[in-house]
Amino acid sequence: MSEPVKTSVPFEPILTKYINEPNAHTIEHFLARGGYEVARAHVGVTDPATLVGIVKDSGLRGRGGAGFPTGMKWGFLAKGTGKPAYLAVNGDESEPGTHKDRHILEKDPHQLLEGVILTCWAIQSNHAFIYLRGEFILGYERLEAAVRAAKGKGFIGKGIFGTAFDLKVTVVRGAGAYICGEETGMLSSIEGGRGYPKIKPPFPAISGLFKCPTIVNNVETIANVTHIIKNGADWHKQWGTEKSPGYKIFCLSGAVKKPGVYEVPLGIRMADFIEQYGGGLVEGRAMKAVIPGGLSAPLLTPEMVENCTLDYESLASLGSMLGSGGITVLHDGVDMMSAIYNTMRFYHHESCGQCTPCREGTGWLEKLAHKHHSGHAAEGDADLLADVAKNMRGRTICVLADAAAMPMQSYLQHFRADFDARAHEPAHAARHRTARDEITPAAKRDSVLHGAPGVADVGMGNRE
Amino acid sequence: MSEIKQVNLKIDGRDVTVPADWTVIRAAHANDIDIPHYCYHKDLSIAGNCRICMVNVKGAPRPVVGCATPVAEGMEVSTMAPDAVEARKGVMEFLLINHPLDCPECDQAGECKLQDYSVDHGRDHGRFTEEKVRKSKATLGPHVKYWGSRCILCTRCVRFTDEVSGTGELGVIYRGDRSEIATFPGRALDNPLSMNTVDICPVGALVSSDFLFQSRVWHLHSNPSVCADCSVGCNTRVDLDAKDQIKRIVPRRNDAVNKEWMCDSGRLSFGYAYSDRLQKPKVHGKDATWREARRAALELLSGTNGSSVVVLVSAWNTNEAMATVKDFVSAEVAGARIVGYGNPTQQDQTFPGFTIRGDKNPNRDGLKSVLGIADADASLKALAAETAPIGTLLVVHNVPGFAMTAEFKAVLDRSENVVLLDFADGELLRYGNVAVALPTLTSFEKAGTFVNHDGLAQEFAPVMEPVTHGVPESDLFASLKQDARAATVSGVKA
Repeated sequence: MSEPVKTSVPFEPILTKYINEPNAHTIEHFLARGGYEVARAHVGVTDPATLVGIVKDSGLRGRGGAGFPTGMKWGFLAKGTGKPAYLAVNGDESEPGTHKDRHILEKDPHQLLEGVILTCWAIQSNHAFIYLRGEFILGYERLEAAVRAAKGKGFIGKGIFGTAFDLKVTVVRGAGAYICGEETGMLSSIEGGRGYPKIKPPFPAISGLFKCPTIVNNVETIANVTHIIKNGADWHKQWGTEKSPGYKIFCLSGAVKKPGVYEVPLGIRMADFIEQYGGGLVEGRAMKAVIPGGLSAPLLTPEMVENCTLDYESLASLGSMLGSGGITVLHDGVDMMSAIYNTMRFYHHESCGQCTPCREGTGWLEKLAHKHHSGHAAEGDADLLADVAKNMRGRTICVLADAAAMPMQSYLQHFRADFDARAHEPAHAARHRTARDEITPAAKRDSVLHGAPGVADVGMGNRE
Repeated sequence: MSEIKQVNLKIDGRDVTVPADWTVIRAAHANDIDIPHYCYHKDLSIAGNCRICMVNVKGAPRPVVGCATPVAEGMEVSTMAPDAVEARKGVMEFLLINHPLDCPECDQAGECKLQDYSVDHGRDHGRFTEEKVRKSKATLGPHVKYWGSRCILCTRCVRFTDEVSGTGELGVIYRGDRSEIATFPGRALDNPLSMNTVDICPVGALVSSDFLFQSRVWHLHSNPSVCADCSVGCNTRVDLDAKDQIKRIVPRRNDAVNKEWMCDSGRLSFGYAYSDRLQKPKVHGKDATWREARRAALELLSGTNGSSVVVLVSAWNTNEAMATVKDFVSAEVAGARIVGYGNPTQQDQTFPGFTIRGDKNPNRDGLKSVLGIADADASLKALAAETAPIGTLLVVHNVPGFAMTAEFKAVLDRSENVVLLDFADGELLRYGNVAVALPTLTSFEKAGTFVNHDGLAQEFAPVMEPVTHGVPESDLFASLKQDARAATVSGVKA
């Protein structure tokens, strides 16, 4: 294994520094390492606009996936509306391949709460909602306990830190829907409705939760706030690139020797990251592709990985996105048709069903992907897939349709031959085939992405 | 309230000026430019989910939905730009892939937006060869059934129950392409406005239990009318089949009266036009010719002293009928007293977006303005409280589903003879002392004017030919008057 990445400034994990210590989730542990001191120093003291200014200057970008500048978002918050302002923290981390917020919630929840307190002071909100993915049982228990502990110490509640500033923190659990991680879908869910995303405009900063001005930020974003306010904007900017300053938590999975959660400065080479943190590919395997930013990010070929650095602009220039930081490495033994079918199955399952193109399109993509996966596709089906994906993109309220269409388009772009290899039937035969014919009794195949059994439930069934 | 600013924009090259708080689709529709739409409804909140109303806005990176895009000064909208056409074509295809295409057995066929927009915006062939998603069928309530597979999840019905009826029975269950409309557990879609959901359903998903399989809509012809079920006076469209039978009543838009809603009771109120009708004139319970019946009535009315004649006019009569009653009485039965009555008033049923009036009479206001009876109930009460016998009681009735009150009975019991004008062979006719019964017509078969709760006079024309030998009151009283004149003339000669 070669030397760790050399960046201009040495980097030690910041957000994940304590996640391997057994009691890091307790308030005692947090206070012992100077926890809540930054909040105590600023709440009721520092001009909120100054804090917003620091975050704006730091160049911190939203860590939920879209990468929108956080300070700028805070600046959009409608003021003088006569309505309360809310902070809604998005902890509905459901993007496949992503599990960074989970570690903060389970292993260092006070770090998040201090960020929440500072953010609420900065945007002058007296009520923060933290929305957790329903499956995060441990995270929920630990966060609830953390809120109770912080309340007991007077860090949350009436007149926090002895100031006149009140802060209520409500932890809300989802019920297991990917769409509730979309910011307005999450707001609908917190309001008690179906997690249907809302039409924008109005943006949440103008009219969000309960039609009040609302700032929606990702867990990792909020966790960053304390460190930036403590150390200043320039400290944050010493890492990363000009447009992607700072550091980020990446979740490395797939065919690497050491999959895991790694916090690294932005701007490092992806190939180096995989090699030096993930230990390279598993023995005897070569890289086939990389899903760089969660399942919805268009995948990268090995050549693209060579030219890729882990920052927003590099991935955008490669036609993909940094997204949530969930990096999945596919090895040369992965059946791309199996992978795309699994991907499409996910989005079909998770489409909320509100907008026509997504509701109907995700199902169609899955069915067509299944045909390719099971070797029953007809000539022209790949073109049809491309057209269906095209008709979904940019045509819906939220970006779930795009999230489903983008990987399909990238698979078609890079692995078109794999599609065509499964298109055994002439087009006219497909017209006369019944649906029953498509289900083949072939043995279940285990490995889809990285050798884990039981991911695919439909056999290969190549008809030779 | 500050004046809403007007903005100027171009839609398909046409300059239009609309209030700044409008959306593109509203601006287009107000200027007779069609933008297809399923989920958008003028009287409901914006859902923006069907995605068929996509238009091209100059400067926007991709087509936008017309229903949720606010107008702006200088905006240039194109409904026919290639990208907008392409987007609509795509949406149309998505809407149909899981649709059962069961038009031959679907009630909505012929008035279905899926059919219409398929022709205008769809593809000429299907590309979907996979298995379709099948969804459930359900009876949502007493008047509404649900065909899940036809549903396009526009949520108009859900928004209707949330925003107009305020009853909130409906919601979406499941997710993605398995989504269905359903009532919440333990609830039924049984609010008094439930059938509006059938009207606003752009496809054949919500259908009326009453109209189900009754007729193909292209076999129907329609006539405008005004509902007589209560004092709202909803504007209606009455649909009749080739045999001139009423098949259904649906609301007709009138923003000053009922927007595009009406109550279930009003829609289903046409049954009385076909059952228990008084077919022919009757004299002492026996069928008579019109001439015999009129003569008998005249004898009873003018043969006695006018002061012993009382005329009861219900609030179900048209202004025109009331005017002819007044005219006839002053000419032929001078001195007769005119008293008003009507169905007893119930509580108003108020919903967030609609009120069903408790005054179950279409024309109480007419009694006031035409006959000068300020309070019909009080006038009947006063009459009932008296004890002097009534020589002849002329009842101009026409009240469907009339519930006989004690007061009304008291008046009938005191009357020596009753001359009844009614369209029904009902309770009143069988009560006993009806000497002459003259058949009239329902409001479906005659023209006239009702004045609604808000004092708005609404004229209506007959929607169908009379079912019986009945005649409108105006004709009847004209004939009576003519007969009376003829009798006087012949009397002089004798």
